[in-house]
Amino acid sequence: MDFPTEPDIIDTDIAVIGTGGAGLMCVLHAHAADPGLSIALVSKGAVGRSGCTRMVQGGYNAVLDPSDSIEAHFRDTLDGGKYLNDQELAWTLVNDAPRVIHELETRVGCFFDRGPDGRIHQKAFAGQSYDRTVHRGDLTGIEIMGRLRDQMFRVGPRELEDVRALDLVRDENGELAGLTALDWRTGRAMLIRARVVVVATGGAATMWKIAAPAREKTGDGVAMCYRAGLPLRDMEMLQFHPTGLLAGSSRLTGAVLEEGLRGAGARLLNADGERYMSRYDAGRMERSTRDVVARASYTEIMSGRGTESGGVRIDISHLGAEEVERRFPGMVARTRQVGQDLATGPVEVSPTAHFHMGGVMIDRDCRTELAGLLVAGEDAGGTHGANRLGGNGVAESTVYGARSGDQVVHEAAGRPLREPDPAEVAESIRGAYAPLLRDSGPLPFALTTELKELMWERCGVVRDREGLLAARTGLERLAERVALVRAPHPPAANYTWQEALDLGNQVTVARLVVESALAREESRGAHYRADFPERRDDSWLRYIVARSGTDGAELSTRPVEPTRLAPAPEVTTP
Amino acid sequence: MTEVLRVRITRSDPAARTDFEVDWEPPMTVLDVLLAVQRDHDPSLAFRFSCRVAMCGTCTLRANGSSVLACQAKVEPGRLRIDPMAGFPVVRDLIVDVSAFWREWASVTPYLVPREDLDEPAVIPPDSPERQRVDPSLDCITCGACFSSCAIADERRDFIGPAALNRAMVLIADSRDANAEERLEVVTRAGGVDRCHYVYGCTHACPKGLDPAASIRTLRRWRLRGLPD
Repeated sequence: MDFPTEPDIIDTDIAVIGTGGAGLMCVLHAHAADPGLSIALVSKGAVGRSGCTRMVQGGYNAVLDPSDSIEAHFRDTLDGGKYLNDQELAWTLVNDAPRVIHELETRVGCFFDRGPDGRIHQKAFAGQSYDRTVHRGDLTGIEIMGRLRDQMFRVGPRELEDVRALDLVRDENGELAGLTALDWRTGRAMLIRARVVVVATGGAATMWKIAAPAREKTGDGVAMCYRAGLPLRDMEMLQFHPTGLLAGSSRLTGAVLEEGLRGAGARLLNADGERYMSRYDAGRMERSTRDVVARASYTEIMSGRGTESGGVRIDISHLGAEEVERRFPGMVARTRQVGQDLATGPVEVSPTAHFHMGGVMIDRDCRTELAGLLVAGEDAGGTHGANRLGGNGVAESTVYGARSGDQVVHEAAGRPLREPDPAEVAESIRGAYAPLLRDSGPLPFALTTELKELMWERCGVVRDREGLLAARTGLERLAERVALVRAPHPPAANYTWQEALDLGNQVTVARLVVESALAREESRGAHYRADFPERRDDSWLRYIVARSGTDGAELSTRPVEPTRLAPAPEVTTP
Repeated sequence: MTEVLRVRITRSDPAARTDFEVDWEPPMTVLDVLLAVQRDHDPSLAFRFSCRVAMCGTCTLRANGSSVLACQAKVEPGRLRIDPMAGFPVVRDLIVDVSAFWREWASVTPYLVPREDLDEPAVIPPDSPERQRVDPSLDCITCGACFSSCAIADERRDFIGPAALNRAMVLIADSRDANAEERLEVVTRAGGVDRCHYVYGCTHACPKGLDPAASIRTLRRWRLRGLPD
């Protein structure tokens, strides 16, 4: 085989990149709206079995009980997001969520846990005024993604499995024409010409040392959209989940112990056995929002009140072993896997990088600045503001996935297939093959580790100007070496090559996170500046927009529009 | 002194290195071993994984002969042999082409065919006979460990296999579904439940603790005595 190969050409009406909750809901809705549309499903990993919807544990927030209300869910979402949210996106989320749960149950085939009366059971999650989290045990993602994957056998999209999307490409007039891609199972390049492209790849939280997501989550979609010149917002807003497992050098480190534990009364203890949340949010204690709890744990660990392995402890054993095993079987198994036991005693945990609130700017129909390009799920920014509520993530991916599927039909009307600019295509493919063609240069593994440590130490749970400037310099140097990264042969099924390409996207996203974090000189939600510890509603009810300029990223700020609800002050009680 | 693990990995390229020594650092899984080999010894080693918490079902392989999820199989110091899943063509090293698994899965119409009157989420108490039957069989992650360890599925391509039969049982038992009779017909004809010889490889291998052999027995019972109400 010659390298780089001439791309295999695929023509389709719609290309959906990503096969998590957003991507597969998009396919279902696009097909329902017009069964005649051809759909290509581009999946970097196994279809329906890669990414993070699969990994959803606790569940899905939706207002189902007549005594709950959309307004209450909306207020909780904005309180949790510290009013940085795009209120129209947040409103759309809470408004559509009950309908999508309904669809998952009656059309997709999911079956969620029932209460004794036979109706859908809703459990308590942190940061919410009502028990509204729908779930299937404590491993809800298996049921949602399993059933969505099954639906693909009914709909029959063209599944491009193990195909990595590289770049969006345009025609000579600058109109979106499709994307370049790489079939990594064979090592061959692809050009996918599409009338409409939907980006739904997920976020980039894997780039922190302790991190929760699946391996595919390397910011591919956001990086791709950034390279295409689209504006991104809230890139500094990266959520750390308070309770990630600590398992030494095992890959299990960072895996989340679910939110429902704190909802059910789990206590967080420092090494002295003190229930330290009383000093950070005495009102809500462990049921405070993720940003507050993660920062509290981090502060305890950094102040020398952490355990030997650098964590704190979560303890729910006071419910009794039998009850814990019944309600949280998946979590109990997960802790036993690393030689601890949630059912009978405390387990060591640490904050773990979990979810990117920031992403591509969209409207409520997933449209972007670029005609024909839609973005759905974690790749988009604005819905969650400065902090996401547990249970709103899978709601976002399925709600907005469905909306993007409804929208593609309108987008496709009047958009013919276009001929991509051959120079753009060639440059993208050349870039992807470069690591494979180099005889020397670093392998990606050590560089990935370096990136993860740099982001954890300098752009983590607690940030300051000095650290962020060091991160900026560190990333500049790292980017120079990433540009020289090498992968061994053969090209087929070569994960080292894939990691080299992941790294390129991760560094692109990392630099935007650091620049945005430097710009926000206040503390809000997941973004905490030790040098600016106050939330400043007088000057910072603004969101940061980053887009690619002539010399790196160009940042600007825009005011948040309180179209539905005026910002309220923080409710924690320190 | 650090204890050592001696690993032998079946590779698809006959010239590729197969034997490695890795430091044993508990808690350590087969996945951790593979990552260490790839990082420290041979970057060309090919294997698949995604979530590393037993939810995606994509890291299935054989460790010392048993079909397991690499992310869940703990390792102890000593010797470890790693082979790809059985019964599937190898793409490269430990990555296999699982199309055969999905062909069987698709053959049972694996998606819910909603009854016409299913307008609202069904009201079904958790202690109803239906949920007692379905719930323990529901969390299949389609990892293929059952297929890989099935004496019948492995040998010839004429058996629907344990995972797809389990899925069929779940859907037939689901009162929301309108396709029970067609499904029962599919799973009871040639290549269906009668090909199972109850070796229980599937039930032993399932990393989620499901019992596909019991589901197959249930399907046989329904054929003889008719579908449940």
